[in-house]
Amino acid sequence: MQRPITPTSRARAPLAAAFAAVSLVATASAASLPKVASINLCADQHVLALADPEQILTVSWLAADAEESLLAHEAQRHTLNYGTAEEILKLAPDVVLAGTYTSPFTRTMLRRLGFNVVELEPEASIADIERNVRIVADVVGQPARGERLVVELREGVRALEARRPARRVGAVIVRPGGFTVGADSLADELLRLAGLANVAAERGLDRWGSLSMEALLRSAPDLIVLTGYRASQPSLANAVLEHPALESLGATHRTVTVHTALWACGLPRSIEAASVLQQAVLE
Amino acid sequence: MSATERSGGSTALAAGLGLLALLAAAGSLVIGRDGGGPTFGFGGPELAETIVREIRLPRTLLALLVGGTLGLCGAALQGLLRNPLAEPGLLGASSGAAFGAVVMFYFGFAGASSLLLPLGAVAGSLLALAVLYALAGRRGDFLTIVLAGIAINALAAALTSLALNFAPSPYAALEILFWMLGSLADRSLAHVYLALPLMVPGWLLVVAAARGLDALTLGEDTARSLGFDPKRTQALVIGGTALAVGAAVAVTGVVGFIGLVVPHLLRGAVGQHPSRLLLPSFLGGALLATLADIAIRLLPPGPELKLGVVTALLGAPFFLHLVMRSSARDGSAP
Repeated sequence: MQRPITPTSRARAPLAAAFAAVSLVATASAASLPKVASINLCADQHVLALADPEQILTVSWLAADAEESLLAHEAQRHTLNYGTAEEILKLAPDVVLAGTYTSPFTRTMLRRLGFNVVELEPEASIADIERNVRIVADVVGQPARGERLVVELREGVRALEARRPARRVGAVIVRPGGFTVGADSLADELLRLAGLANVAAERGLDRWGSLSMEALLRSAPDLIVLTGYRASQPSLANAVLEHPALESLGATHRTVTVHTALWACGLPRSIEAASVLQQAVLE
Repeated sequence: MSATERSGGSTALAAGLGLLALLAAAGSLVIGRDGGGPTFGFGGPELAETIVREIRLPRTLLALLVGGTLGLCGAALQGLLRNPLAEPGLLGASSGAAFGAVVMFYFGFAGASSLLLPLGAVAGSLLALAVLYALAGRRGDFLTIVLAGIAINALAAALTSLALNFAPSPYAALEILFWMLGSLADRSLAHVYLALPLMVPGWLLVVAAARGLDALTLGEDTARSLGFDPKRTQALVIGGTALAVGAAVAVTGVVGFIGLVVPHLLRGAVGQHPSRLLLPSFLGGALLATLADIAIRLLPPGPELKLGVVTALLGAPFFLHLVMRSSARDGSAP
């Protein structure tokens, strides 16, 4: 640039240079950060929360679906994949994030092709959420961001603990298909965090038990937790939620609906499910 | 039409089907799916080589091998049982293999190595066969075999559902379900190497039964008087099917309809001799599976459709057309 230097521009020059230097450093560090591809809905959401957008080469198509994902809007800016090795191969990521239940064929194929594949166990507790946040934060080279999310999560947990209802409130989760959620699961921990007693867990059911309509009626919960999953789309599973017995139970008991995406994957934001439940009881 | 003309027709048919299968295989190497739909370009030469060698080649080979296995075994079983409804699934080989795979998945072995899942499937298929032999092998009459096969299928399906009920996570259940619909996605050459050593002896056993199958079309007693032991023919076909289909289900999951439809489609062209149906059915099965796998990649954007779904979608209308045409012609089903 050969523009004549006026007094004002001379005064600004060092400042502009400083800005340029800062942005140069920023781009350099962004360029050196690993580029990631995610082929699992839960991993997608961790990546979207932790990585810079420029680091994300692709996330799975489910991440862009608001019924499934809390970060659908953010996901829509990225290339979406359908979880096949060929799509990932063309993008040449530094790291591939998958779930332990992602197709074993695809995981093995990607490893054969020399990719660094990191697998995330499904989150069955708040401790699991913290673990996966730290794993993904390390993988994408944003450990500070990860620690910040963990700290916020713990603050959220303390806030919920402080507001627990004094009396015993029995709750039961009714999922489409007549399933409930028992002990040893994230939803159970969130329920207890909110200060509720999980009736299904007390009846000895673990993670993904099924609860018959009769058992549900006999357990006489104070609160029925419905998970609204694609309620507008017809399915046999959702038809269970329209059972007349359940409707009559809903008339005498308090019912609250928690969006499935809030706790289908264990994310720092999953504790919002607990505050929705607590709110429903405290009202 | 004389027997020699039929035989010549069978050779010409096999040559034609073989050529078409090769063309389809070439297409399968070129047509990719980039999540959003078919792609024909590759990117750089190095990337192209990797994609073709590591992803599309194993996929194409497995489509040919699995389709061929199902076609061949379907033709042999229809000959053996003299029943047009016979197919590999009938013996419980497929459902036994699926159960073996599900058990591997449920006990978490599948995570350790992707090859353990297929090995469980082979074991399940062989177990189903052993039970079939214990139930019906000694008596050796075909009605007993069909009934025993139905019982084993029901048992394997029930055990599979039982295992699914105990599966630790709904995600695992979903994976198993998808796996049972059959898929070729992201299989590697390791799967070809795993399946082929079991498939080849299976094919050879089935082919060794060809003359015996021809004799059986005249009835068990006549076959015996011609010097063919029906029990030996039966052992060859059932043993061969268990090996080959077990290996096929092991790497691709349960792919239905090929074993049922392909021999039917071709029987009109080669006549009633089961031996002449074997090679055309092998090649026809290979062709159908490869075409179905290409069709998957030509579909609009979305998660990949399962191979078993597409073979049924392609095969069923053909099959119905055939049934209706032949019943219009002679007033009876084929």
